[in-house]
Amino acid sequence: MEQVVGEREAEEFTVVARKPYFDLPTACPICLPLFIYLKLAHFPFRLSFNSIFPDSDQIPYVESGTYVAYNNENSGVVECLKKDGIVDLDSEFQSAPDWVSMQAMINSWLADALTYELWVGTDGRSAYKIYYSDLSWPIGKVLFLKQVYSVKQRLGITKDNAEHREDEIYRRAKIAYGALSTKLGEQNFLFDDRPSSLDATFLGYVLVTLHALPDTSVLRSKLLEHDNIVRYAEKLKTELIESGSSSSGPQFRSVPSSSTPRKGSSNWSSKPKSKPKREKTEEEKTFKRRAKYFLAAQLLAVLLFLSVMGGYDSGDMELDDEDEGISFN
Amino acid sequence: MSNPDSLPDVTPLKSKPDPEHPKPFNTDDIDEEEEEDGDENDVEYDDEDAKGEVFGEPNRLKPQSREAQFRSEKLKMDSLLQRMQSGPVSVRVHDVIIKGNTKTKDHVIEAETEVLNNVGSMQELLKASQIVNLRLQALEIFDSVKITLDSGPPELPGTANVIIEVVETASPLSGQIGAYTKAEARSSTVEGSLKYKNFFGYGDLWDGSLAYGYDHSAELSAGVFLPRFKGLVTPVTARAYLLSQDWLKFSSYKERSMGLSLGLFSTPYHDLAYNLAWRTLTDPSQMSSRSIRRQLGHNLLSSLKYTFKFDRRNSTMRPTRGYAFVSTTQIGGLTPDSRSLRFLRQEFDLRYVVPLGFYHAALNFGVSGGVVFPWGNGFSSRPSSLPERFFLGGNISPVCALGGPTALWGFKTRGLGPTEPKRQVNKENAEPSGVDFLGGDLAVTALADLSFDLPFRWFREKGIHAHVFACAGNVAKLTENEYRNISVQKFVESLRSSVGVGLVVPTSLFRMEKFWTLYWSLAQAKTGVWHASPVASEHFGSYIGCQQNFGI
Repeated sequence: MEQVVGEREAEEFTVVARKPYFDLPTACPICLPLFIYLKLAHFPFRLSFNSIFPDSDQIPYVESGTYVAYNNENSGVVECLKKDGIVDLDSEFQSAPDWVSMQAMINSWLADALTYELWVGTDGRSAYKIYYSDLSWPIGKVLFLKQVYSVKQRLGITKDNAEHREDEIYRRAKIAYGALSTKLGEQNFLFDDRPSSLDATFLGYVLVTLHALPDTSVLRSKLLEHDNIVRYAEKLKTELIESGSSSSGPQFRSVPSSSTPRKGSSNWSSKPKSKPKREKTEEEKTFKRRAKYFLAAQLLAVLLFLSVMGGYDSGDMELDDEDEGISFN
Repeated sequence: MSNPDSLPDVTPLKSKPDPEHPKPFNTDDIDEEEEEDGDENDVEYDDEDAKGEVFGEPNRLKPQSREAQFRSEKLKMDSLLQRMQSGPVSVRVHDVIIKGNTKTKDHVIEAETEVLNNVGSMQELLKASQIVNLRLQALEIFDSVKITLDSGPPELPGTANVIIEVVETASPLSGQIGAYTKAEARSSTVEGSLKYKNFFGYGDLWDGSLAYGYDHSAELSAGVFLPRFKGLVTPVTARAYLLSQDWLKFSSYKERSMGLSLGLFSTPYHDLAYNLAWRTLTDPSQMSSRSIRRQLGHNLLSSLKYTFKFDRRNSTMRPTRGYAFVSTTQIGGLTPDSRSLRFLRQEFDLRYVVPLGFYHAALNFGVSGGVVFPWGNGFSSRPSSLPERFFLGGNISPVCALGGPTALWGFKTRGLGPTEPKRQVNKENAEPSGVDFLGGDLAVTALADLSFDLPFRWFREKGIHAHVFACAGNVAKLTENEYRNISVQKFVESLRSSVGVGLVVPTSLFRMEKFWTLYWSLAQAKTGVWHASPVASEHFGSYIGCQQNFGI
């Protein structure tokens, strides 16, 4: 599954990524796939952060001694690691007929959709926290505005075609989610039930979409329509990120203890987890209170009727509460 | 009415003036004149040309022939000079009259004449007038400055009026172009600047400059100089700049800064400046070592820098007597935002020169040191900022450079101190990519230099001289908890030293020097045995510059 060059095993590898946020080890959608890829490969590494260079295309990078693999070389760090024989999860998948199309769809449609949503669609609030929260305000603000402009330029968004481009981006994202959901099915991974770099990339995008984007995000709501993707992301997040340290990858095949319930898509909704519980409790209380008032009013009405109409024909009146249709489920 | 005790007598003197006697106030710009007409009877302090009356009363002047008038004034002048040479002639300034300024505000000129208010004698008045003249010319906003001393009102004996006539500059826009070259530092520059004088009439000097250097280093800056701002005692300067410095060859990074610097307080001894800058460190070569990679990114610099300088040496190019002391304190992180760059930097430099009395020889001794440390939460485990560290080496002469530990003979630019291997790109290539010079948080240098004239008249006439020197220095890291591992013994063990001889050729524009050095380090090997490894090298250091001024 993974290949590690013996001569580099003795040197510690360090991944330099952007800062953690939103309960993710690194909240940057470019850095998180690399983290997940190395975790899937059970590759030991240390995690370090650079939070003062948000506009660098060199980050993330992997270093060990005088060896460095930068993000802006050889199509990315993962490709560098494959080419240098350090770690390769894709050796058996690249000949698969739909590998290239899946890869293109994830790296273009989904990547563009996430970029758009982070920087433009949601006013960039999440992106500001991920990239600029450790920079002094004047610098962070200027760099943020510069990046928003750059994203719009890259996605071809102008004042005239903003709505059209947004619709197009969301439509393509929806198609991609549908295709990937179909491909995934109920498997653990996209290809042959074994992890690959596409799983790392896709999972990284999905986790950032679910955790970093606000509830009002259109892209997030489209993702939540696919339960199997959400289950896939949640399961792997628990296995890879929450259950182990960075120096030793967890056994992703083992099933966590039963103390960790898997509720599937019922955990995800258009609102965060804490909000549904709170609302349900308040609704329930209100409903119960109103029900009590209603019952009391009904009882009072009946008693009044009986007291006023008492003595005529009590057998003609039936207390038929069941017809009111009140249920206390 | 004139007071015969304080003012020169209008009657001719019996003694004739001695033409060989030195005249202490021979300046073209300080004139005496009659009170009635100020433009025709200007008198200069000159025996041959003495004309007009010196502090004469207009009521007592009678129409005389020109020759008789000249003789009369000459006698008065001689009398005055004789009295001034024998003792103080009591006089005080009654009024300062400013003429000729159409744009320049009066208070700007009056601020430079405050020294006149405290004079008590004629001698002091003349000296103060010269000082005022120089100060007004130093404003660079006048084409000429003429100061005339006149008698005060008749009802106030022993007083004088000072009349300052200025001619504001006809061409406020001027320019300057210069070319400068520094060997081995990749900083050959061509610099051009434009200056606009007195735009608002406050003596303000506006300038914009552009310097382009070899290998794409550049600086664009614009500034303003205000001699008097809101009643502040010293001038205020403000400068906005865009700066790019290339350290790729030595430390694998480029520095870009965009900022504003304010000169808040400046006297001959004290200087206080504030600097606010957005600084970015990048590595376009992608070859940097690990420590340099960790420093790449953006930082906000907000710092206050105080410099105390006391230089009593007779020359900066070749000092032969005197002493000097410089202390610079800089504190960074002066913003409410804790994410700005926070550091404390202190450096000092002490020089002492002992003249030896033969062949114009002198012994120069110098010691300098500096320390930098971050402050704030977790300061001991954080690294110091790379541009604030100390780097030793280069082709600057330590004798001339005054201001902290920077220069050492015999070591290349940034060549002394901790290093780290650069990134290795091609693993099949066994040759290393080189090292990055990281600088240090603690630096100490010491120098001893014996300069002397050569025993050839031609060399002496040209100012060419030789010197024998010895210097030592060291740089150490203190941050990231390294201060726990440092000790005086280790610091001394890793000291780098050099001795050598050199030939210095000074010119009107620059100092060129060729020297030969031996340098070595005393290190304790793993076996615990001290050893020395001398290496001979030849370095050529030069600073060549020329500039051309032009007016527009």
